[in-house]
Amino acid sequence: MHIPDGYLTPETCALTYAISIIFLVWSWKRARAAYSRSLAPLLAVSSAFVFAAQMINFPILYGTSGHLVGGTFLSMLLGPYAAILSMTIVLLMQALFFADGGVFTFGANVFNMAIIGGLSFFLVKLLTKNPQRTGRLFMSISFASWLSVVIGALACGLQIGFSPVFSDVGGIVATVPAMLFWHALIGLGEAAITTTLTSQLHRLQPMVLNGLIILRRKHVETIP
Amino acid sequence: MLKQYLKALILTLAFLSILLPLASNAPDGLERVAETLGIEEQKPAWEGLMPDYTLPTIDNPYISTLLAGFFGVFLVLGVSFILGIAITKPNR
Repeated sequence: MHIPDGYLTPETCALTYAISIIFLVWSWKRARAAYSRSLAPLLAVSSAFVFAAQMINFPILYGTSGHLVGGTFLSMLLGPYAAILSMTIVLLMQALFFADGGVFTFGANVFNMAIIGGLSFFLVKLLTKNPQRTGRLFMSISFASWLSVVIGALACGLQIGFSPVFSDVGGIVATVPAMLFWHALIGLGEAAITTTLTSQLHRLQPMVLNGLIILRRKHVETIP
Repeated sequence: MLKQYLKALILTLAFLSILLPLASNAPDGLERVAETLGIEEQKPAWEGLMPDYTLPTIDNPYISTLLAGFFGVFLVLGVSFILGIAITKPNR
């Protein structure tokens, strides 16, 4: 879902940069208030893992592939604020070193994957209610991770649909349904991987799921 | 605890080495949409150091992508560790 340069108008680039920067500042401020130093190694390893996982494309249908985005996964480990920042680092390194996702379109990619992915935390929280009931928790994680990919694809479809490159072939009327169709399928992969990873981590190393610990509290305060 | 993180990192690198040859080279969702609509890939404004996760000097595609991947893993590890230090308060 990484938008390359040339697919968005300068206006869309500027607008998405502005929106993403607002969310990043908000995440930065909330993260500073919420986390202790023990977060740093977990943040480093989980971001590195998501970078690696994004390199592994799985086949979907008719010669199309997808890969894990990992926003919901990170938000379950790190909570929403650090997850947004962590995913932004992954996207930034991809854009700067690997030309995966453009430089001008970086703001849009941050919005579609990092911010929507990190915010899916709140959907998990809303749907879970009582996280002691793990069945319901992992159902919520499945649905939220699927939806985060679909909403990201919707945003991406709208952004590219408004560019002149795509307006000649139908604009958003063409791009939005096509993006939604493919990413409804890719989202199934996202949900399967995210649910497997979080449930296995929960089984093996329940301490690591700091984001889940936040879920068990009324307010985000500190992570032990 | 640090040992656990080291284990997770080694598992990540092992997982990348094993799954990389099995990864699909088919276009992803967005590339497929662009292709179907007949949009040409634009020339990137910035090519990066390792475009498409390959080291230009290495011929073997597996080794080339794997090394680029390892580089990226350690890069993200380092930068996000710095982020982790920056957004947290020292434990007292």
